[in-house]
Amino acid sequence: MLATRALRLIGKRAISTSVCARGGHGVAKVEDYTLPVYLDRQDVPLPEISYVQKLSPEQKSLKEKEKGAWAALSLDEKLALYRISFEKSYAEMNQGSDEWKSVIGGVFIFIGLTGLIVLWQRKYVYGPVPHTFDDEYKQKELQRMLDMRMNPVQGISADWDYENKQWKK
Amino acid sequence: MAQYTQLGLQDAASPLMEELLHFHDHALMIITLISAFVLYIILTMVTAKTTDKYILDSQEVEIIWTVLPAIILVLIALPSLRILYLLDEINDPHLTIKAMGHQWYWSYEYTDYEDLGFDSYMVPTQDLTPGQFRLLEADHRMVIPVESPIRVLVSAEDVLHSWAVPSLGVKMDAVPGRLNQVAFVASRPGVFFGQCSEICGANHSFMPIVVEAVPLEHFENWSSLMLEDA
Repeated sequence: MLATRALRLIGKRAISTSVCARGGHGVAKVEDYTLPVYLDRQDVPLPEISYVQKLSPEQKSLKEKEKGAWAALSLDEKLALYRISFEKSYAEMNQGSDEWKSVIGGVFIFIGLTGLIVLWQRKYVYGPVPHTFDDEYKQKELQRMLDMRMNPVQGISADWDYENKQWKK
Repeated sequence: MAQYTQLGLQDAASPLMEELLHFHDHALMIITLISAFVLYIILTMVTAKTTDKYILDSQEVEIIWTVLPAIILVLIALPSLRILYLLDEINDPHLTIKAMGHQWYWSYEYTDYEDLGFDSYMVPTQDLTPGQFRLLEADHRMVIPVESPIRVLVSAEDVLHSWAVPSLGVKMDAVPGRLNQVAFVASRPGVFFGQCSEICGANHSFMPIVVEAVPLEHFENWSSLMLEDA
């Protein structure tokens, strides 16, 4: 009872386009963003105003019936009352959508485009890599690193078995 | 030297670098744990089914998340300050070398006993012998005796450079008109590479530093040979 009365008061405030009288200076327009809004949020169970502000005649009579004993209401009437106060149920509010598929698709499209650009660059823009990248040269470099005992503690020379001339198992 | 796709630090070749390496491991472990914990909290919050999220105060958790970070910071600060003071320990170097930065090469002067000086230019890529490391090799290396405290006085002849050898844990800016001092001990023999670490013009990436730590007799032979060549 108290709830419906309170709701009606808040509802009345929301509907009215009352102007704000400023002391001596005239009136200021009430901005939309300062008025209470309806909001479906998981962590705000009771929004500031009811969803349906302008009640149809059936809804008005239903509201009158609500003032009586609630046991007298049928399931459909209870649901109708729920839908007056709220737009979505919790289940509807929390349901996901298929948007993520579009997002992932878009991401892959752009990654693919970038890949195409990179391949084109490698073919038509960049010159050849230095000769030090040849496999044969790399082998000689590796041999030299091992011969010089580079990083012998935990690095490359630590993994080489010098006795048996092979990588450590 | 660093290898391709290497993420961590190079193996230490001096005691100070060892300390820095261990401290780096310690600090990195702490921040990895913190990041994993925060990620877990974020995931839990995002997937939670609770709707009551307006918690206004909680003394216990506030105390915990003030005290615990303070403790963690102390645990990071203590080793860090220890190393900071270790770096400033009094040295008694056996050898003093002057490393002068030029555009775009280094020159080393060993003037303790004789007048030995030479330039150290990068070996160009087309002149590499097979197996040499591109952009790292130099024609003359700075040879030092192993396990001897060395003092390097770093300066520059033209613009700012920086003399850096990561495996020795050494980096010192070369400022024209200024002498900066850095000291280290090479704990093991080997060849240690570094690169100029202060932008100095077109060939800033092409003036490497190569330090070779050898037993004392080899060092003496080398310096005699270099003096003869000069």
